[in-house]
Amino acid sequence: MATQIPRKRTIFFIRLMVVITTAYFILLSPVAGKELEIYGYIFIAVYLMTNLIVAYIPEKYFHDNRIFYGFILCDSILLPAGIYFSGYIGSDLYLMFFFIISLTTMSSRFGYLMINTFLFCLIYLWLLHEKGVLTGPKAGAYLIQIPFIIVIAIFYGYLITTRLKDKDMRINEVRQRYEQVVQATDVLMSIVDRDGKLKFANDIFARFYGYHEDKRLAGLTIAQVNAEDASEADKLLDYVQSVYQKNDMVRYESYNKKHNLWFANTLGPIRDPSTGDVLDVCVISKDITDRIEKEKKLNNTVELLIKTRDQLIQQDKMAALGRMASGIAHEIRNPLEIIYMGIDYLENNIAHQDPQIDGSIEKIYKAANRADNIINNILSFSRKSEYKITQIPVCQLLDNTLVLANQALHKGHVTVKREYETESLEAAGDYNMLEQVFLNLINNAIDAMKESTEKRLTIRASGKIISEIGYKTGYRYTDFFRIGEKKIVVEISDTGKGMSKDVQSKIFEPFFTTKSVNEGTGLGLSIVHMIIERLSGTIDVTSEENKGTTFYVNIQPQIKKVVAEEGQYDKSDQSSGY
Amino acid sequence: MTNQIKVLAIDDEVDFCYFIKKNLTQSGLFDVVVANNGADGIKLARKEKPDIILLDLFMPDIPGEDVAAELKDHPATADIPILYITALASNDEIVEGESNKMGDNYIMAKPVRTKKLIETIMKILGQSY
Repeated sequence: MATQIPRKRTIFFIRLMVVITTAYFILLSPVAGKELEIYGYIFIAVYLMTNLIVAYIPEKYFHDNRIFYGFILCDSILLPAGIYFSGYIGSDLYLMFFFIISLTTMSSRFGYLMINTFLFCLIYLWLLHEKGVLTGPKAGAYLIQIPFIIVIAIFYGYLITTRLKDKDMRINEVRQRYEQVVQATDVLMSIVDRDGKLKFANDIFARFYGYHEDKRLAGLTIAQVNAEDASEADKLLDYVQSVYQKNDMVRYESYNKKHNLWFANTLGPIRDPSTGDVLDVCVISKDITDRIEKEKKLNNTVELLIKTRDQLIQQDKMAALGRMASGIAHEIRNPLEIIYMGIDYLENNIAHQDPQIDGSIEKIYKAANRADNIINNILSFSRKSEYKITQIPVCQLLDNTLVLANQALHKGHVTVKREYETESLEAAGDYNMLEQVFLNLINNAIDAMKESTEKRLTIRASGKIISEIGYKTGYRYTDFFRIGEKKIVVEISDTGKGMSKDVQSKIFEPFFTTKSVNEGTGLGLSIVHMIIERLSGTIDVTSEENKGTTFYVNIQPQIKKVVAEEGQYDKSDQSSGY
Repeated sequence: MTNQIKVLAIDDEVDFCYFIKKNLTQSGLFDVVVANNGADGIKLARKEKPDIILLDLFMPDIPGEDVAAELKDHPATADIPILYITALASNDEIVEGESNKMGDNYIMAKPVRTKKLIETIMKILGQSY
């Protein structure tokens, strides 16, 4: 915004110039009558006094048009009076010129100018009459001044009013242009004051808040306009205040609940051109919902990529483990074979008289067996087992597994509770594999309850419609299950010692075990996990220390879903080079 | 001695061959010859014409399967049954399969106990033990 000329100084010096010139006329006038001299002094005194007032009035009051034009009006009375009182040669002429110029400049319309000119001519005629010049010998010369004044008034009047019109038109053009820009944008634009009261709003703003013409918005506050979201209105008001405080632009993003839209808001200070203080704040709000949605999508994609990457790393680790396992198995089984053959040889060639020797051979044999079991378990990862996917009666399978675990359950004094939703539940899978899975989980449960006072194993089986995707533990994020589809859930719940969060996060990792050396290899749950995945299922766990653990085995209800996955595994098995 | 079964064991594990020879010989039923690589095994098979060949699948010079193929190709050894003894498969896998066979040949997973080995050989040769 262009800076304005300081009005006070200008007015002060112009008036000083006028008073000096006029005083010169009055004081040095050769024709001035002695009786008028006192009026001349009074005029000079009044004029100087008013200019003294100008010197003491602060600059900002001169931007108030009432004061500014008040002084001009005051001058336009004082000046002609001074000229008239001077009675100097040609003072009539000076007076005449002054009137013409002041009348023309002060008249905004040509018609007013003509009325003013006519009135002035009458006053001037009266003054001439009072002087008595209209009856003298120079009456003709004085009277000719009247049409002269009218002609000059018309001439200047025309020039000035035409120029004013041009100027107005240009201002209007600029204003229209600004208005068009403000209305043509797709942003919500408003101007508010310190109290959040609206001084201006563009059409888009008005329409957005349900006002059909921006006039209806005038005088309302932000809080009134956005009454539906008081917290958002408060937030905007806070930012408006901070613009006043900082005297600088402020930006923030906001969400409109009603329209479900995101906005990027820019609050710019509208400053006083002379002082630089913030007068109002211009608020521009741009709809950035598309961008936010895209960002959200991008973030989701990134998240998915990270998950997929983790999954691939996990698969890669498993494949590497598989390759390593087969190598290890080969390397260890050969010496193991020699140990077995050696044991056979020793057994055939000793006298069997010393029980300690027999006992020692037995220990060697057991150690060899343990090593062999570990190798078999490791091989389960890499081996491309033949498995047959069929529809399996889940409850029957669970009952059979319980029979297999009967001895261990009995030995551990564990009571079993079965809660089957319906006996006719069916799931798709390999019978032996699923049996291995449930037997493993049941054995783990029995082990976990060794030191519990209450030893209860609960087995639940039910069909569930999937309402959300997400796994409590485990590293795979698969899309085996989709929302709305059915899954079979087998829950195996114990009242054992439970697990810490840290342990829960590691239980499916190969070789992770909390059991002592002789009790477990740390491969049981890894194999369970792998089998369930091969059957296009998932496994979750919840556990509370000293309360118990529940495993949730989610499996497919129908064969077709599993078969697709089976193919994928065949491929990956081949690629592992085994 | 003539009714003794002649066994050829081909395996790069020298100590394994040592114990196979000891254990099978001790049973009194077998006469065991040993080769520690594929090439020697093929030569020995042609020379000795054993009743059965115990063959390792994974050997440094010639893989067991190639040794088996060469033996099957040669008229002198074509009819000798071959029993693979391998560390690469698990017992479960072999037992779960439809037969204990890999192609035309028999297969057994390490670790192998002497008793089980003798039973298997007898079963293959159709002799009572």
